[in-house]
Amino acid sequence: MTHQETFTVIAPIKLDQVDDLRAVLETIQRNVRHNDLIPFTRFPQVHFARFVILEAVIDPLRNTTIPASLAFSSCIDAPLKDYLQSLVKIAGSGLDQVFSHCESYPPPPQRTVSSRLAYLRKHSVKSQAFYVNTIGRTVQQIRQEADLRDKIEHFLDQYQQDHNQTHNSADATAVRRAIQEFVRREPALSWALRPAPSPSLLWRIREKLHFLGGLVVILLLGLVFLPFAPIFVAILRWKEETDPHPQQNPNFRLSQFHRLHLAQDEDFFSQNQFSVVGFIKPGWFRYGTLRVILWLINFAARHIFNNGDLGTVPLLKLSGVDTIHFANWIVIDRGRRELFISNYDGSLEDYMNDFINKVAWGLNLAFSHGVDYPKTRWLVKGGARDEQIYKAVLRKYQIRTQVWYPAYPDLSAINISNNAQIRAGLFQPLDTTATQAWLSRL
Amino acid sequence: MYQLERQDIQGIISFGYGNLDAAAYALLHIQNASLTKHWLSNLVDQVQTGQERPSERGLNIAFTYEGLAALGLPESALTTFPTEFQEGMTEPNRSRVLGDHQGSENDPQTWLWGGPNSQTVHILLLLFAKNDAQLDEFYSALESQFATNGVELIRKLETKILKDDDEGLREHFGFRDAISQPSIEGLHRAKSPNHLIKAGEFILGYPNEYNLLTESPRVQPDFDPQNLLPPGEFGSHDLGRNGSYLVFRQLSQNVEAFWRFLDTTTRNTDGSSQPQARLKLAAKMVGRWPSGTSLVQSPEQDDPTVPDQNDFVYHHSDAQGLRCPVGAHIRRTNPRDSLGPAPGTERSIAVNKTHRLLRRGRTYGEPISASFDPDAILNSPNPEGERGIHFICINANISRQFEFVQHTWINNPKFNGLYQETDPLMGDRQPGELGKTDRFTEPATPIRHCVKELPQFVTVRGGAYFFLPGIKAIRYLASLS
Repeated sequence: MTHQETFTVIAPIKLDQVDDLRAVLETIQRNVRHNDLIPFTRFPQVHFARFVILEAVIDPLRNTTIPASLAFSSCIDAPLKDYLQSLVKIAGSGLDQVFSHCESYPPPPQRTVSSRLAYLRKHSVKSQAFYVNTIGRTVQQIRQEADLRDKIEHFLDQYQQDHNQTHNSADATAVRRAIQEFVRREPALSWALRPAPSPSLLWRIREKLHFLGGLVVILLLGLVFLPFAPIFVAILRWKEETDPHPQQNPNFRLSQFHRLHLAQDEDFFSQNQFSVVGFIKPGWFRYGTLRVILWLINFAARHIFNNGDLGTVPLLKLSGVDTIHFANWIVIDRGRRELFISNYDGSLEDYMNDFINKVAWGLNLAFSHGVDYPKTRWLVKGGARDEQIYKAVLRKYQIRTQVWYPAYPDLSAINISNNAQIRAGLFQPLDTTATQAWLSRL
Repeated sequence: MYQLERQDIQGIISFGYGNLDAAAYALLHIQNASLTKHWLSNLVDQVQTGQERPSERGLNIAFTYEGLAALGLPESALTTFPTEFQEGMTEPNRSRVLGDHQGSENDPQTWLWGGPNSQTVHILLLLFAKNDAQLDEFYSALESQFATNGVELIRKLETKILKDDDEGLREHFGFRDAISQPSIEGLHRAKSPNHLIKAGEFILGYPNEYNLLTESPRVQPDFDPQNLLPPGEFGSHDLGRNGSYLVFRQLSQNVEAFWRFLDTTTRNTDGSSQPQARLKLAAKMVGRWPSGTSLVQSPEQDDPTVPDQNDFVYHHSDAQGLRCPVGAHIRRTNPRDSLGPAPGTERSIAVNKTHRLLRRGRTYGEPISASFDPDAILNSPNPEGERGIHFICINANISRQFEFVQHTWINNPKFNGLYQETDPLMGDRQPGELGKTDRFTEPATPIRHCVKELPQFVTVRGGAYFFLPGIKAIRYLASLS
C-alpha cells in the first residue's frame, strides 16, 4: 500500500514581478493537463496540484508589509522524492519560468536538476494538518477502479440487451458470475483479479504505535493541562466575548465581497478548489490554541477520519462530510497567517452549506482563531452557525487559485469510494444478500 | 411566536390564486422614471396583499436590480442586495452554475427575454383573473397606461392552465403538478410538520430555518425622509421587510420529443410500441404517475385513489430507489429525508427545509392533446407552437434555495452517489467539461436498468431574478426623488 503525502513550497515573489508571474501561471492553467511548462499528466502520482499567489498585505498588528509570495502545493502518492525528482527533470524549464520570478532562485547558469531540487526543498513548508479522504488509495488505483466500473457498466448494458426479455428474472448470483467471467476474460482488467494491496504489517504496526503514542501524549498533556483548564476556559470565554467580530460591522455582508473574480475559476467540473488565507488573531493564546488544535486535527485525520469521511463521531451523533478529497492547513509568515487549501466536490454554496449543516463545530475549532471569524462560544458553539456571516467571511478571505490540476475531475469522492467497493467485492465470497448489495453498487 | 404582517406582504406569497384560472405576466422597461414612479404610487393601491384571497382579480409587482436602479434607488441601498440579485441570472459564471451553458440550447444569448440580446427587464407585473375575458379587460386597462406612464412593454407572457378531469393541475408532459408545496409557518396550515417551513425562508424579516434573519436590503435614513420604511439593522431603514425574491424562468417543454424518446426506448424488438412500459419509464423519470401518486406510494402502477399524494418520505421505504429512482425528477428537486446528515431522520429533513422553493408558476401554450394521452401526442401531425411552464418560485435566499436546487440537485451528475446523469426531465445535457450526463439509472434487482442518450426535453427561453417588495417598500420606491 502506498500512502499519500503533501508538498508545499512558498517562495517570496520578486518585487514588481507578480504580474509577469501571473501571466506564466495563466499559460499553465490554459492547458493544465498537457501544457509545455508543467505538464501535470506526466506525473502519475499527483492527485491534485495548485499554484496560488499570496498577494502582499500589511500586517495590521506590526504595521509591516508581508511581501507577495507564491505557493505551489501538491497532494501525491508517496514517495515524495520520486515526485520531486521527476518534477525537476520533466518540468525543469517550466519551474524555471515560474520560480525565476521568485527571490533567490538560481540564476540561469546555475540551474541544474540538483539546484532546482535544492530550491524546492529549501522553500518547502510543513502542513500543520493534512486531510486525505482515504489513506492508501493511489491515483493509479482510482483511475483503474473507475475504468473497471465503466467496463462492467458497459458489459451490463450489453448483457441486458442480450437478455432483454428475461433480465428481471435472472438471479443475482448468475449476474455476478457473468460479471466475474467478463472481468476474467478482459486482459486489460487482469489487475482486478486481486484485491487492492492492503497496508503492510510494518506500516500497520507503525501507525498503531503512532496512534497509541499520540493517545498517551494527549492523555498526559491533558492531565498536566487539567488544573489550568478553568483558566484556559476563562481566557477563552473572555476573548470570545471581547474579540471584534463581523456581526458588529454593518458593512459585513455577502454582497460586499465581489465573487466574480473567484467564480471565474469555479464550477467547470463537479470538483472544485478552494484557497483561503487570513491573519491569526493576535496574541500567544490564540496562536497556541490553534497550533494544538491543528496538531489534533492532523492526528485525527491520520488515525480516525482516514476512510472517506471527515467528522463523523457516532458516539456524539455527529455526521461528517464525504465530499473532501484533500485539505491542508499551513501556518505561514512566522505564525501570523494561516493558509487553507482544499479540493472538494460540488459548488462552493454546496460546500459551505454542507459544513454549516454538519460540522459547524469543526469549522469553529479549526478557523475561529482567524481574524473576522464569526463569534463563537466555548470554541465549538456559534461561529459558522451564523450562516450568512460565515459565508461572507469565507468569500472575503478566499483567494484565486491561479493554477489548479485535478487528476480525476470527473469523479466525486463518493464515486471513488463506490468504485473501490465494487472492486473489493468482485471476487469475494458473498452470500445472497451481500451479492444483491454488491450489485446495487452498479 | 411572531405575527406575519399580511397586509404588507404581496399576495402571491400567501396564495397561488388557484381560484383565478387566468393569468398573464408583463415584462416592462422603464423609459421615464419619474412618470413610472408616479404611476407606481397609484398602482400600489391595486397590488394584492396577503391579507385575504381575492375572488376576482389580483395584481402583484416585482423589480429587477436594473429596475430598482432605474427608479433611482441610491447606490448605497443597491449594494445591500445579495450578490446573486445584483449580478442577475445571466452573469456568465452564474450561467455555468445554473446549467445555461454558453453555446448550449439554454444559452442566455438565445433567450426571448432577460438575456443580453433583449431589452433590459425592469418591472414584472403578475396579473390574475377569474377567466380569460376578465383577464383581458384587466390587462387592457393596465396596458393603456404603459405609454403615458413611461414604461414600455417588452413582452407579455400568456399562460394557460391545464386541468385534468378531476380539476387537478397538469403540466404538458401530462403529469399532475404542484402537489408538494412548502407551507409557511404562520400563514398556511400544513398536513405534516415535514412541509411546514419557517416564514423567513420565503419572507424577509422573519426567522428562517436556521432561526436567523436573512440579510435584508436597507436604506440609509437620509434617503427615506418620509419614514416610509420600518427600522432596520444598524440604524438603517429596512427595504426588504415583508418582501422576497422571485425567480422567473420560462421553460419550454418539448413534449413530442419526450414521448417519442420514451416510445422508442421501450419498443418491442419487432418495433411495436409498449404503452405500459412507456408510461412506466416516464413515471420512473418523474417519480410520480400521471395522477400525481408517488412511486413510493404505488411502485407498480398508477393509483389515483391515494388520499394524500404528498404523504411519503424515501429513506425507510425506498433507500435504494427501487420504487422511485434516486435520480427521478421529484426526488432530486425535493429529496425529503434521503440525504445526509443521517438519512431517514429529523436531521435530514431539517437540512432539506433550508432548500425549499415556493412555486407560483403556471403553464403556457396549447397542449398537444387535451387528454394528455401519449398516443395522441405521438400521432399528432406537427404540433405547432411552443408550450411549457413559466416557472416562478419565491425564496428569501436565491443562492441557498433556487440556485442550490438547480445546481446541486437538478443538474448535479453526482447527486446522491450518481455518476453521469442530470434530472431526466429538465436537466441540461450539455454540461461543458463535465463529460456526458445523458443517462438515467433505474435501480432494480438484480441489476439496474440504464437508459442512455437522453435528449434535453426542457429548454430555458428567458428568465430573471426579481425583488418582490412589501407594500410599504413599493410605496417607498414610488416616492424616490
